[in-house]
Amino acid sequence: MAEKKIKIVISGPYAAGKTQFINTISEIETVKTEAKTTKAGEKEKKDYTTVAMDFGRIKIDDEHTLYLFGTPGQSRFDFMWDILGKGMVGLVVLVDSTDPATFHEARRIINYFEARYPAPFVVGCNKQDLKGAWSPEDIRTALDLGDDIKVLPLVATDKENVKRVLLTLLDEIAKYI
Amino acid sequence: MAIAGDLRIFNFVDIFQILRKDKKDGILVIERDGKNFAVYFKNGDIVYIREVQKVFYVYLDVDFEVVLKKENVSKDEMYNILVARLPHLLNIKEGKFSFTPGFIRYSPDINPQIPIEKLIMYLSRQLTPEEVERKISDLNLVFEKSENFEEIAKKAFLTDYEKKILHLIDGKNKVADIIYQSKMNDLIVKRALYGFLACGIIQREKKKERKIGFELTKSLLNKIISKIKGL
Repeated sequence: MAEKKIKIVISGPYAAGKTQFINTISEIETVKTEAKTTKAGEKEKKDYTTVAMDFGRIKIDDEHTLYLFGTPGQSRFDFMWDILGKGMVGLVVLVDSTDPATFHEARRIINYFEARYPAPFVVGCNKQDLKGAWSPEDIRTALDLGDDIKVLPLVATDKENVKRVLLTLLDEIAKYI
Repeated sequence: MAIAGDLRIFNFVDIFQILRKDKKDGILVIERDGKNFAVYFKNGDIVYIREVQKVFYVYLDVDFEVVLKKENVSKDEMYNILVARLPHLLNIKEGKFSFTPGFIRYSPDINPQIPIEKLIMYLSRQLTPEEVERKISDLNLVFEKSENFEEIAKKAFLTDYEKKILHLIDGKNKVADIIYQSKMNDLIVKRALYGFLACGIIQREKKKERKIGFELTKSLLNKIISKIKGL
């Protein structure tokens, strides 16, 4: 039987923790398309960055597999948003709660998907365990999100945290089925 | 939790939007080249601005009455001093900001001097094209008026052209439609939308329908939920 792919997209600004999020929950080792960071302002944050997409996989049954696709964080790769947005069932937007400089980029990503692929989405406020993290409620306001959108605290290295974000997204999806 | 950052990236409109939303009490400290301002907020509105040589001086006083006494300012003089200091504060475009919620105790007779919505709109009219792109990054965005938009708009002292733009926001018109129908320059429309969003006059359209790019059934969704719970 041909495998049916169900797609959830994990997006967010540079270094928001998208690859980590997928790593934490995927049943396979995350397939990465990484390149060494060379740009000033990026290489100080991490050595490698996603350039096309990352993906992780969770087998649901003999017929269905859930794929988690991570988008590249930098806007110069935003053509990938279009490719990944088509056919998705839901979207998780991650933000680095300690870096308000990236909130504008997170808002731009949300604006893009909301205007073109308005699938159910949730926001994960990552790095809540770090000093200087903004609260999810303040991040909600900073991203111009209303009370109808779930904005959740997150530590992407913690499996239970990642599960909670995905389960919340699935609850949101259920409202539209 | 922290609300701190860099003014070059997070401008006063963005900061005021957050402080206004939850009607926060506290002190916003702006640090720039040894010139520091402490901005006192009550219920999300500015009540006083103080210039301090060192930031830690701000945190020596937990009672606002003491602040006024040290500044040698009476409650009747607060408004004039605030109005005189506001332009100096709002002209700052670079530096660090941090907001400490709570901390300062106000007596009940200390009331907001200038509605924060008025300041937000005033500042929005000066935003650069790069700044407006941060919020209004897509011409396909759709906004709707907030439930209490009239009440907020009154406090914001909108100009005639802003009122015209507001009139075109109906939960259906895209940003591109508003620009076309208003016959106004892109930047003017986007600045107004930026300010309206920050003031809470408008909000993103709340979508009644969302697209799910797969024929997902309830039973398959339940299977996915069980699988994730079991991981």
